Amino acid sequence: MSAFGLKKLTVEYLRGCTVPFVLPFEKGKKMMVVYGENAAGKSTICDAFEFIGKGKVGSLENRGLGKTTAYWPSVGRNASEVAVTLENTDDSSCRACILKGEVVAHPPAARPQVEVLRRSQILALVEAKPADRYTAICRFIDVSGIEASETALRQAIRDLAANRENAAARVSGNMEAITQFWEAAGRAGSDPMSWADTETKRDLNAADAEVAALGRVQNAYSRLIDYPSRLTAATERLTQATQIAAAEERKVQQCVQTIAADAAEVMALLQAGRAWLQKHPSPDSCPLCESAEKVAGLDQRLAQRLNSFAGLQTAQNRTKAAAAAVQQAEQQLAAVQDDACKDAQAFEQARAAFNWPADIPMPASPPVDVQAIPAWLAKYPNLSAQWRSAEATRQDKKQFLATLRQTRQTYLDNLRAHKELSALLPRLEQALKAVEEERRAFTDSVLARIAGEVGRLYERVHPGEGLNHISLELDPKRKASLDIGAQFCGGKSAPPQAYFSESHLDTLGLCVFLALATLDGPENTVLVLDDVLASMDEPHVERLVEVLYAEAVKFRHCLITTHSRPWKDNPRWGWLKNGHCQFIELDKWAAQQGMKLKRSLPDAEPLGHPLPQPA
Amino acid sequence: MDTPSETLAAKIMERLVRENLITAEVAKRLHPKLAEGKLAPEDWRLAIELADRKEASP
Repeated sequence: MSAFGLKKLTVEYLRGCTVPFVLPFEKGKKMMVVYGENAAGKSTICDAFEFIGKGKVGSLENRGLGKTTAYWPSVGRNASEVAVTLENTDDSSCRACILKGEVVAHPPAARPQVEVLRRSQILALVEAKPADRYTAICRFIDVSGIEASETALRQAIRDLAANRENAAARVSGNMEAITQFWEAAGRAGSDPMSWADTETKRDLNAADAEVAALGRVQNAYSRLIDYPSRLTAATERLTQATQIAAAEERKVQQCVQTIAADAAEVMALLQAGRAWLQKHPSPDSCPLCESAEKVAGLDQRLAQRLNSFAGLQTAQNRTKAAAAAVQQAEQQLAAVQDDACKDAQAFEQARAAFNWPADIPMPASPPVDVQAIPAWLAKYPNLSAQWRSAEATRQDKKQFLATLRQTRQTYLDNLRAHKELSALLPRLEQALKAVEEERRAFTDSVLARIAGEVGRLYERVHPGEGLNHISLELDPKRKASLDIGAQFCGGKSAPPQAYFSESHLDTLGLCVFLALATLDGPENTVLVLDDVLASMDEPHVERLVEVLYAEAVKFRHCLITTHSRPWKDNPRWGWLKNGHCQFIELDKWAAQQGMKLKRSLPDAEPLGHPLPQPA
Repeated sequence: MDTPSETLAAKIMERLVRENLITAEVAKRLHPKLAEGKLAPEDWRLAIELADRKEASP
């Protein structure tokens, strides 16, 4: 949507504007020619537009003044008094003034978009260095965001290519390891991978079951191998105890024979009498003969007689102990035999519970008679070592299979990753190709459009001169560098500065400026051309004026300042007569009155004023 | 008004979708990041992998 038309520009104390100056805009006219002799204030009007639109005063730049802000106010005025107000046909407005050295527009959103081209700048773009020329038009071709994303895509491709290379190296390494395993295993099967496929399908649980069963058999067997020594020891203890008991018995017999034939019975009687006297310490008579004659001192006399039987008593006590030892030895032997029987049954249970492979030696069932166990054990002297070896073989095999399985899985994973990367990489490269092509096509099309527009405008000013083949090309060897070229006399493209006349270069510079302004939202742009027609001869000026009028309709407004007489005097220009262009003439400037309008209407228009207006 | 990067991003996304390199949904989501230069290498990879998967199992 285009912005509203201009209604009035009020300039206060800016540059030559020593008193407030109002520039009225006629409704419906999108072009204004401001005519005035030198120093009438034309450039101040251009400065005012640049002040409100861009926050600067370009006419003072590049004059060796350094910071120019101090020269913006009129003589005798200060920065706080400077103001430019632009009112629009919808009664909205924007006012710009200087605050703390900066130009501030209020409201900011209403700040007009302004493009100013001055006589001094007309060749700037044509004669600029390629980098500066690029800067001037980069807003149309600046795709740095896309270029950054494109760089990321390029990086993604590099990363993926590196990953694919790594995956290929890993696949090769895994294959080499599997081949080594295959060779170590005797090169079974048709090739390493088919062998590895078969091997890794083996049931590791079966080997685990074998190892577990073997463990149980070994435990039971280890208990059995103690029994020969345990049985021997228990038997020997019993024999020894029996022999001791017999010897003690013989000693008692010898004692009895020495003392008296019935010494044992007498000693038993005396012991019973003492036991009775312990319970009845003061008897009236002897409990055996019932005589009271020798009852006094009976206990002492019994003790004296028993002492004489001490040897016999000791022998009897030792006989009793020996008999007890025999009984204990018999019990221990029975316990060992019982344990042996149970452990033999446990072994048989573990042995019979598994179907043993041929490489694991297994004895016959243990004998039921425990006394035969030593002989049975002696028949299989190296069982434990053979079983440990078999178990170690199975553990090694299990470890080998686990390693092989892991290596094969890693190989398959890497192979899959390699395949995926190999499939993905071309698609990323295709995407990069698309991005690069689209970016180049876009930039080329924008530059071609600008160059085409420049050529079109140029051809209208210089028809048939064959100088319209303007080209704009990015230097592929340099970043942000733009070359301009033109054909001269049908030759190859060359820098226009080398062959064009000053007038032709001026036209080219103006055409470049117009073409760029046309690309950048012209309906919102106020185009200001400050004295850009000075070097042209009359025919070219006429054609340029026609071009400017035709182009002006694309812009929000077009304002042209000039001191060229034909702009004022030549009555042939229909576009002045038909009222599409507003003509303003500035009077001579004086310090007291500042800038002043001499007349603001074409000569022909006042004639129509007395005519009756339609109802 | 769109910036040159935004205008170009639209053209690029349209072409990538046309060539089945990314899906229309992903293109819509990545368009602003492409224009702003914020697409990371992993964004590109993921976008193209997604289109690849979709193509493999339509």
